[in-house]
Amino acid sequence: MQIGPISLKRKSWEPFAFASPSLALIALVIIFPLAYSFWLSFRNFDLSVGPDSEFVGGANYVEALIRDTRFVNSIWNTAIIIGPSLVVELLVGLGLALLLSRIGRGRAIITALLAIPAMVSPVMAAMAWRMMFGVKYGAINNLGRQLGIIDVYFDWFSSPFISIVAIVLVEVWHNSAFMMLVLLAGLQSIPQELYDAGKADGAEGWRSFWYITLPLLKFTMVVGLMIRLIDLTKLFGLIFVLTFGGPGGTTETVAFSTYLAGFNDFRMSYAAALSYVIVVGVLLLTLLFMWIQRLREMRAA
Amino acid sequence: MAIALERPRVRARSARFLRVRRWVGLVLTWATIVAALIFFLGPFFWILTTSVKANEDYFAYPPVWVPADASLKHYAALFTRSSGARYFTNSLTISTLSMLAALVVSLPTAYSIARWRFGGGFLSLLLLVLRMLPAIALIIPLYIMYKLLGLTNSYMGLVLVYTVLYVPFAVWLLVGFLRDFPVEIEEAALIDGCSRLRALVSVVVPIIAPGLAVVALFSFIATWNEFLFAIVLTGIETKTMMVLVTSFTSGGTDMFYGEASASVVLGVLPAFIVAFMLQRYLVKGLALGGTKG
Repeated sequence: MQIGPISLKRKSWEPFAFASPSLALIALVIIFPLAYSFWLSFRNFDLSVGPDSEFVGGANYVEALIRDTRFVNSIWNTAIIIGPSLVVELLVGLGLALLLSRIGRGRAIITALLAIPAMVSPVMAAMAWRMMFGVKYGAINNLGRQLGIIDVYFDWFSSPFISIVAIVLVEVWHNSAFMMLVLLAGLQSIPQELYDAGKADGAEGWRSFWYITLPLLKFTMVVGLMIRLIDLTKLFGLIFVLTFGGPGGTTETVAFSTYLAGFNDFRMSYAAALSYVIVVGVLLLTLLFMWIQRLREMRAA
Repeated sequence: MAIALERPRVRARSARFLRVRRWVGLVLTWATIVAALIFFLGPFFWILTTSVKANEDYFAYPPVWVPADASLKHYAALFTRSSGARYFTNSLTISTLSMLAALVVSLPTAYSIARWRFGGGFLSLLLLVLRMLPAIALIIPLYIMYKLLGLTNSYMGLVLVYTVLYVPFAVWLLVGFLRDFPVEIEEAALIDGCSRLRALVSVVVPIIAPGLAVVALFSFIATWNEFLFAIVLTGIETKTMMVLVTSFTSGGTDMFYGEASASVVLGVLPAFIVAFMLQRYLVKGLALGGTKG
């Protein structure tokens, strides 16, 4: 009976053959376009001018980082939106996770209900809120008037500051549930014995939260924040619907201004250069974050 | 003696105090949860009621929160006047095709990694890079390539890019499901003379079907929700719901509330279904960008 072992023997081409369809697709639709885009970013290909282009060296990158105030401003705008969003999402997510970990009955259903906004597309979330912010028929102005908080129809997108507050609010509504889910999983992985031991040593309530929960949840928090940070650098659909970069370009994010350079001005090479600036920026941000984290751990040890 | 009498009273009071405190804590917990539910679900409720209001209800003051007689005429208008039926079908078709294609392509790759450790740490690296890669970096070269190849404004073009974007995530989840699968069952099939592919399709697939369903649902909702590729690569015939909904914003701050809200209701429907069906996998799915595409 030699048949068994022989047929079970792995053929050397099989692993590669099984993986090849996805490898080929990834090479074709991701790797090659990215390489092409890199090549393009050193040329002056402009669809509104014509199909011809020539090599211009690093001119696009120089323009992006020095001369183009619009793009430099959009980096700043993105940071202004990301900062408060991350802080509030972390706090709301942590609060909800702690609450959910305290209730027994109905936890599963409430968690699922609270998680729904995070499953919705940013475009749909922004559209729902844009309508709620509506000047005359929006829910927020109507509710405010009915409760006597405001007495005029307020335009929520007239000033840069309030526009950014509104964007952060929608962002928090949309993505706090993600933090909540991540932190809830983190909370549930903390062994109950630690709390029992803490109780024996007199750590209850706030103290057990401060000395047991928080230190053990730190890693989970960092991972959650990291993921949110990377996602927030891609902020596009929400801006597209909620403000379209307005008023006066004060809410244009990096992804949005790159989109405008590419598909409004049709400066393809320039947009390619901008997108590489974003990629490098996100990469540096990630490395910085990891480096700070490692430094902290080393100091703690 | 006096001290001994004193003690039980103190203990009784502190027990009552603890009971009151626990009760207050419970009330506060539930009050906060109800407030959170109102904040997170309120917008959906408002959008739903708005979509069934009559036109005069929008102007009414005091505002009509729940319309007395609901009508579906905004949905009818959305489906006919704004060609919503076509775009809804587009979204369904594109998401379904991408979902199926992602499964077909990912399953053998996942199998190769789970059984033969193909590629070593390649997969996790790829996943990390793709998770970080901003979609905006990909859309510019893809747009030019699609223009040259005539793939813009076609189902094929969008399905292709969605499938590929989703493969790493699907592979990653499937590897997990396949590792849990007992190798012995498969080996029995191989001894009976099945080829690897045959064993995969007729022995492994039926058993890991629930896992495949999880991957399928996540990939469906990711493509359903995707916006950047959709708005750049689609034309008038192939628009998706995400693109349709943005067309209502041209009316300024006060727009076509009826049809706009109806399209939002239809656009968020899959999210509701998936949030309940995939409760256990939500963290994984969201962390890996499984819903944003």
